[in-house]
Amino acid sequence: MKNRDTRDLIGGIALIAIGVFAAIHARQYEFGELQRMGPGYFPTVLGIILAILGVLVAIPALFREGTSIKIEWHSLVWVMVSILVFAVLLNHLGMIFTSALAVIASSMASDIKWKARLILSGCIAVITYLIFSFGLGMVIPVWPWSY
Amino acid sequence: METLDSLYIGLQAALQPNILLYCFFGVFLGTFIGVLPGIGPLAAISLLLPITYHIEPTAAIVMLAGVYYGAEYGGSTASILLNLPGTAANAVTCLDGHPMAKQGRAGVALFMTTIASLIGGMIGVFALILFSPSIVEIGLKFGPAEYFALMILGLISASTLASGSPAKGMAMVVFGLLLGTIGTDINSGVPRFDFGIAEMMDGISLVGLAMGLFGISEIINSITIKRDGKITEKITMRSMMPTKKDVQDSIKPMLRGSGIGGFFGALPGTGAAIASFISYAVEKKIAKDPTRFGKGAIEGITAPESANNAAAQTAFIPTLTLGIPGSATMAIMLGALIIHGIQPGPMLMSEQPTLFWGLIVSFFIGNIFLVILNIPLIGMWVSLLNIPYRILYPAILVFIMMGVYSVHNSSFDLYVVAIIGIIGYGMSLLRFEAAPLLLGFILGPLMEENLRRALLLSRGDMATFIDRPISMWLLIISGLILAWSFFGSFRSHLRKKTLAKEQAAAGNA
Repeated sequence: MKNRDTRDLIGGIALIAIGVFAAIHARQYEFGELQRMGPGYFPTVLGIILAILGVLVAIPALFREGTSIKIEWHSLVWVMVSILVFAVLLNHLGMIFTSALAVIASSMASDIKWKARLILSGCIAVITYLIFSFGLGMVIPVWPWSY
Repeated sequence: METLDSLYIGLQAALQPNILLYCFFGVFLGTFIGVLPGIGPLAAISLLLPITYHIEPTAAIVMLAGVYYGAEYGGSTASILLNLPGTAANAVTCLDGHPMAKQGRAGVALFMTTIASLIGGMIGVFALILFSPSIVEIGLKFGPAEYFALMILGLISASTLASGSPAKGMAMVVFGLLLGTIGTDINSGVPRFDFGIAEMMDGISLVGLAMGLFGISEIINSITIKRDGKITEKITMRSMMPTKKDVQDSIKPMLRGSGIGGFFGALPGTGAAIASFISYAVEKKIAKDPTRFGKGAIEGITAPESANNAAAQTAFIPTLTLGIPGSATMAIMLGALIIHGIQPGPMLMSEQPTLFWGLIVSFFIGNIFLVILNIPLIGMWVSLLNIPYRILYPAILVFIMMGVYSVHNSSFDLYVVAIIGIIGYGMSLLRFEAAPLLLGFILGPLMEENLRRALLLSRGDMATFIDRPISMWLLIISGLILAWSFFGSFRSHLRKKTLAKEQAAAGNA
């Protein structure tokens, strides 16, 4: 399997999987007929087309050389941590602390110094408050004790 | 003089203080985003989408549109100063813009690209005013079969013309269509692909999808990109003054660029980026001395910049008159209107005249704002380029999350964004384009509805798509584009193969 175009191979297989899954899953909805399509008609047809396109992507990739894939794990993980921190804490800590913590998490992906990181998180928290709460007038609790 | 009356209605709408404010805000943010490499107009418009829930539809669409054409103005700044395109449509401006900056003519380049952008933008708006009413006339005659065929044409050209691999582009469109079926089926009321989660009954939100695909994955991709080269050069008003020769050499290229841009902007699937490349190629071809290109030829920046701005304006023609977006950016505009319960299509012009004409007049106003922002205030944007990305991206991420949360005041949408962000990053790793997916997602429900209606009217006879001449021609053109692009990719594959063989043979010899 060396020197194969892994990008298109993985992508094609993923497309086949999604297409097949969609077509099978859509069978639980009424299929209907051309004149009166049921809710299952369109997704089933799309699933089949997607799987065919997946084959068209994957097969040529077997006979072609490709380059290796480089995943930025560090960036990916910290950005995801930041989103999860934000989603979990926003309903408990209010927007100021939550924004600041989310900034600290996401900035872990870059090589910024801790002092700068803390200043940055404070600044962004204040700007967020000014834009969303003050500027756009959104009703989102600001502090942990505003609930 | 019906058009003049309509423009007067538009002028009244566009001159309202709050509309002016949102127009200014839109073009300001557009310039901001355009100047910064690594954030495209798509990400910026998705970022603003949540805000549009809180303001009236005219203000919302005026602002989003401002971001879009504003980004085309700002995008040339980074191309000229850093040799990094601010947006995809400004990539070709690097070729001659950066050499001009190296020759100490950065100011002139920035000034001339702004003027070129203005001329392109204005010509684009005039084309929009001129052609929209007659296209609306045609659109009013369309039935569901024609609409279905038109969407097929739009999706096929968008997925095959712009991307390297037609199969991958098509797959993304179909994946988008499939994602669009998630949620309650409008005809039968049956929830599809909801997996028993109550929030999924409404389908995936456009905001979440756009932010995940464009915002999150762009951030992950850009964090580790090193951006060195601080700009120390000061851009003064004096240094911006072009010579008489610069102006003379630019007038015709700007007009040609505007024409090319206006044409390709209105076609589905092609857009600002393709238009700018074609206009550059045309200038190089007809130039007396083509060797000057790449070494700071003024036509090499003014023609493409006119082209991409003209294209940014005429892209609104199919979106506003037929309700069929030609690109993902336009699809988001359409989505913003649908969020407000406005169904874009040929009826839009007569049913929502203040919105339609107000938007068009706001283009004029916005283009004037942009000249002010880009010439006297250029120094501000140049210093913006010196802000490191590691300071910007945490802020952008927080704004994305606040925006997503604010739409339904629920954390569920944030988890959706996280998952779509991972999918989007995976797609960019595997070199699948996200723009066709978004286009498919927005057109999906419309397409299914028109397909069902067309077949209901014809009592299940598929021949209805061929019996009706407009629909037949649209499908024939779609088929030709499809065949041509598959043939093209097959041929380039063969050519690569023979090339590799020849090289191998040469290596052995």
